[in-house]
Amino acid sequence: MTNATNTAPAATLLDLADIQGGILRTYGDGFPKGRNFYLTVRDARKGRAFVEALLPKITTAARWKDPNREEPLLRTRNPRVKDIARAEGEPDYPGRVQLMKPKVTLNIGFTFTGLLALGVPTRTLRGMPDDFIDGMEARAALLGDDPFLAKRDAVWRDSKGDKRVHILLTLYAQQNPDGTACAELDAETDAIVALCDHAQGGVVLLGGVGPTNARWQDLSAVMRQDGERCWPTNKEHFGLSDGFGDPVFSGQFSGEAERVRVAGGGKLMADGSWQPLATGEFLLGYPDEAQEVPGAAMPIAFSRNGTFMAYRKLHEEVGTFHAYIDEQARRYAQTHQVPHEEAVDTIKAKMVGRWEDGVPLMVAPTFAAWQAFRAELDKARAEKDKAKLAEIALKFTNFIYASDPAGSKCPVTSHLRRANPRDTLGPTFAANGMSKDGSAIINRRRILRRGLPYGHYDANAPADDGDHGIIFMAICTNLFRQFEFVQQQWMQYGLDFNAGSDTCPVIGNHPAEDEPKLVIAVDPETRKPPFICDHIPQLVEPRGGDYFFLPSMTALRMIGMGIIDPT
Amino acid sequence: MADIDVSTYFFTAAVPVCNEGIVEHRSLVGTKGVLKSSPIHIVREILETLPTALQSHATEEIGLNSPFSRNLRTHFTRLVILDQPHFNGRDHSNALVNSIKGTNLLDPQPVDQISCPYILWMIDFDLPDPRGAGEPRRYFEELWGQMAPELRSIFQYCYGFDAVKDAAAFATYILRCQIETTMPFHDYWYVPPKLDPISTTGLALIPGAGVLMLLASLLACLLRWSGWHWAAGFAGWSGWSWMPWAGLALLILGLVIDYYWVLWKGRQPYPASPGADLRNVLKGLYLQQAFTRFAMEQQRRDPAERGAAFRTFLAATRPADLDGPTQPAGVIRSKLPGDGA
Repeated sequence: MTNATNTAPAATLLDLADIQGGILRTYGDGFPKGRNFYLTVRDARKGRAFVEALLPKITTAARWKDPNREEPLLRTRNPRVKDIARAEGEPDYPGRVQLMKPKVTLNIGFTFTGLLALGVPTRTLRGMPDDFIDGMEARAALLGDDPFLAKRDAVWRDSKGDKRVHILLTLYAQQNPDGTACAELDAETDAIVALCDHAQGGVVLLGGVGPTNARWQDLSAVMRQDGERCWPTNKEHFGLSDGFGDPVFSGQFSGEAERVRVAGGGKLMADGSWQPLATGEFLLGYPDEAQEVPGAAMPIAFSRNGTFMAYRKLHEEVGTFHAYIDEQARRYAQTHQVPHEEAVDTIKAKMVGRWEDGVPLMVAPTFAAWQAFRAELDKARAEKDKAKLAEIALKFTNFIYASDPAGSKCPVTSHLRRANPRDTLGPTFAANGMSKDGSAIINRRRILRRGLPYGHYDANAPADDGDHGIIFMAICTNLFRQFEFVQQQWMQYGLDFNAGSDTCPVIGNHPAEDEPKLVIAVDPETRKPPFICDHIPQLVEPRGGDYFFLPSMTALRMIGMGIIDPT
Repeated sequence: MADIDVSTYFFTAAVPVCNEGIVEHRSLVGTKGVLKSSPIHIVREILETLPTALQSHATEEIGLNSPFSRNLRTHFTRLVILDQPHFNGRDHSNALVNSIKGTNLLDPQPVDQISCPYILWMIDFDLPDPRGAGEPRRYFEELWGQMAPELRSIFQYCYGFDAVKDAAAFATYILRCQIETTMPFHDYWYVPPKLDPISTTGLALIPGAGVLMLLASLLACLLRWSGWHWAAGFAGWSGWSWMPWAGLALLILGLVIDYYWVLWKGRQPYPASPGADLRNVLKGLYLQQAFTRFAMEQQRRDPAERGAAFRTFLAATRPADLDGPTQPAGVIRSKLPGDGA
């Protein structure tokens, strides 16, 4: 229903305690340790009892109090956008807060076959989208996964018949000062194992993770050693900062927090302002960017407040990466007459779109500008200049590409610009440099990114072997339109960016016969030749994963009780 | 009034559930202990674990009857959670008009939202007095006496429910949430009902008089125009020029009165069909089952014995006595001979 008068849309109201926690919030550096479990259901009744038993433990999006609230501002290396709200004296999580921050969070997802195994009615299952029904393996060709299918972890390779992955449990835990996970993580693990044992074969914990066939997937943020203490960083194993610029949608944050986060995180309007994206892009049961409620399984209470997730284990070839950058940098240093270190940082930044500490190329296009930016940040930090820090924090996300249509600042095919082209694909630019359509073309291709790195490698001798990389989770209401489109059209193809079939320099497939490359464009005014990173080797390999439905608490209870009535 | 029909009250209420933050709910059943969750989540849990009537094999196995079966006036009741009005997409509009007006289709249209979820409660209950004197207050006070703990558990997280301490307060609370029932449904007559028809003569009287006066005026006018002055004079035209206006006024007035009369008549509750209240229905169900069994027994008997057997049957089942033996409320079959008495 709509009103005839076209007044500003009201802020979306969300029942936070009905939505699973990992959807609205990134657990971020508060929970740098994690553990994922893959389970199969062999007896529907026992499976439902298992879900019922887990229900009270599931972490929801309800606001919580942080007992360490008085943490020093900007404890991490980079200012965070939420620090702005705090700097301005506004609570970044307004509203009634009754829960304490948990030591461990627990969330649950189901594959299509999982829902089937739990006895979800056929009519409800028939309402599920095709991509979700297929699962990730059947979509391998579309995702570019097929060259790597045989290399997947055993749990994913064998995910068929009575070893089909049905349930995913994701745990995130706080850490001790020495960088180990808090004791509660082991306690929760024991509880889950005990629940499986109690199910007597009805629910089975599937092993086969990584080269050692571990029983579960351990996760850990990359740590920074500071004397005796270990601090989690937002880096992954290539040493690049990650996790900026997640989409901001209506209802996700309230009041002030939304106002500061929406700049660069929401959708860009034609007048240059930012607004939160429609809730329906990320939660089922709400209108999306096309002013439609995305199709969902019936009854609507089963779908509402739920969403879908693409779960991927991405192995990082750390040795190859460093060797390749080093080799390219040597050539770059030579042709551009810069020191080797500067060349290394520059090539990395041009591949990703951000400098290694996360400063966007659009803010600091050159090495010198980046150094100046850092000096400014260090000064503000030393002076504890909150206003300045807040201003700087915004720059990490609040930028557009209007001034750089050719990609001479930030290459059009860099990872960042492919994942969220912002105003890039607007076919027209007005005199003021703005796209006349804002980011309308991009708004239906956004995903929420969640996840943590896993594994370790020897920093003194980076190698490809071993088990290290990122658990990547993409959350959206339409896997086909959002996740799969970004992966297929923007990451594994380059036509939208006038880059032929060049794939993403970081996560794209780089078969040698394609002679994969990255063109680092330069401003024609400088009269310097562009630099082409050629023969990019395979840097990231998928090692398994699947599509999961993340139900609301209401739907979880319906699944557990077996009372879904789709009529 | 759509709330009352066929001697039955159709009650609809929308009760707002407080949905700020989370509640710590001590579970009524099981060993779950304290649940921390959103209020509406708990309300759903309570509704989903509330026993339904013993009307399927599964519920008969559980053996817990619906608390509403304690009330012998309730035909059925339904509790539904209303989360949000469903959004049906943009308003339909003409592409050409949009193009001319320069409508920006990227501008989102507003979406209706309700600020909290509601419990929608629909009940269908018998009226001892067909005009519904003292209802529905009387019914809710009665219900509170029979199932206060269950009602309290259902509505405990609703706005303002803290103030409900007794039957009268509960009735007041629910009545404040009442909305008009626009579409009742019930069992209707299986024989043509004895209705009091609207009087056709009565309907025709006033507008008919107006029409006659207009016709008389027209006639007089025709006579005058045709030169039959004497005839027109006979018809009294000269002193009767007010007549067409009076006729028109009477016609309009009559139609207006008829219109409101028909509407008023339409609003009158349908008369109750005989034996349609719950106690009669239960007795009827009981008798059907008892008589079927009786008839089967008689097949093998000597016809001479049947008379005596039937008298015994009548004495045992007391067909005219609604108090018993009869079928208990909320079950699908009587355990004969009538243990509901």
